[in-house]
Amino acid sequence: MAKGEYLGEFEHIVLLTVLRLGDGAYGAMIRMEIERVTGRSPAIGAVHATLERLERKQFVSSWIGEPTAERGGKAKRHFKIEADGVSALKDARQTLERLHAGVSLRNATA
Amino acid sequence: MRPPALAQALVAAAAPTSDYEMVAGDLHEEYLRVLNARGATAADRWYWAQALRSISSLLSYSRSNASMLRRVGTAFTALAVLVAMLAVLMVIDTVFGSSRLPEWLWFFINYTDAVVFGAILALLVPTDGLRVAFYASLFLVLCFVVPAVAGHPGSQAPLAAWIYLLGAIPAMCIGAGAYQAIRCRIDSVN
Repeated sequence: MAKGEYLGEFEHIVLLTVLRLGDGAYGAMIRMEIERVTGRSPAIGAVHATLERLERKQFVSSWIGEPTAERGGKAKRHFKIEADGVSALKDARQTLERLHAGVSLRNATA
Repeated sequence: MRPPALAQALVAAAAPTSDYEMVAGDLHEEYLRVLNARGATAADRWYWAQALRSISSLLSYSRSNASMLRRVGTAFTALAVLVAMLAVLMVIDTVFGSSRLPEWLWFFINYTDAVVFGAILALLVPTDGLRVAFYASLFLVLCFVVPAVAGHPGSQAPLAAWIYLLGAIPAMCIGAGAYQAIRCRIDSVN
């Protein structure tokens, strides 16, 4: 992976959420899923800014859907994870597993 | 029930033009969900919190893949708008004489000039008008601040002049943001 294409913490969370939700996930759905799973309530602006960054890194792709009445007649931008995104998640997971290997958190003190 | 109009305008001003519809739609969808679950007051509060917390993120990105030529064009447009903004002030100063005008009126003229030219800049740069207005006004301020900090003898000015100058940043951003918000509202009505 090229330098500058590593996942930040929130990028990691958003990318994993897009993967969990499957093709067609969109901003509000992703924000609500993050809130439900992590207990954090991210700003919708932060979710969109992160998705744009992930799209620039070619980890996700997007397309615009049809406007719907429950959204005040406004369209959705749908997202799906790309092969590079899956690789980035695998790399991030392996890096964390290597860092955790041999470390015990049970007796660790702050 | 509709989300608070001022909070919607804030989102419209801050969001990249290309993404405004999606961001506003997402907020609208969740607003209705909170409204049904917890009532109007909680929904309004939720919308305001989301709008305020989203400003910095929305201003931080752009979906425009503008070419270098287009970026240079935007920079020249911004420069031309800044020159025109200063030219208007100079004409007013020459015709009326700033020393003969009451200070409050001179403040008003300065900031109105910056608000109007901020809106004009947003009109001329249809994508990300607020961001361009911010950088243009920052550039204007730095053009005066840097020589002054460097001790250039011709750059020393009274405190009031610095207040006018620094006020140009929020004033231009207000003009550009207001124009962007109004345009988004008109687009969504149509």
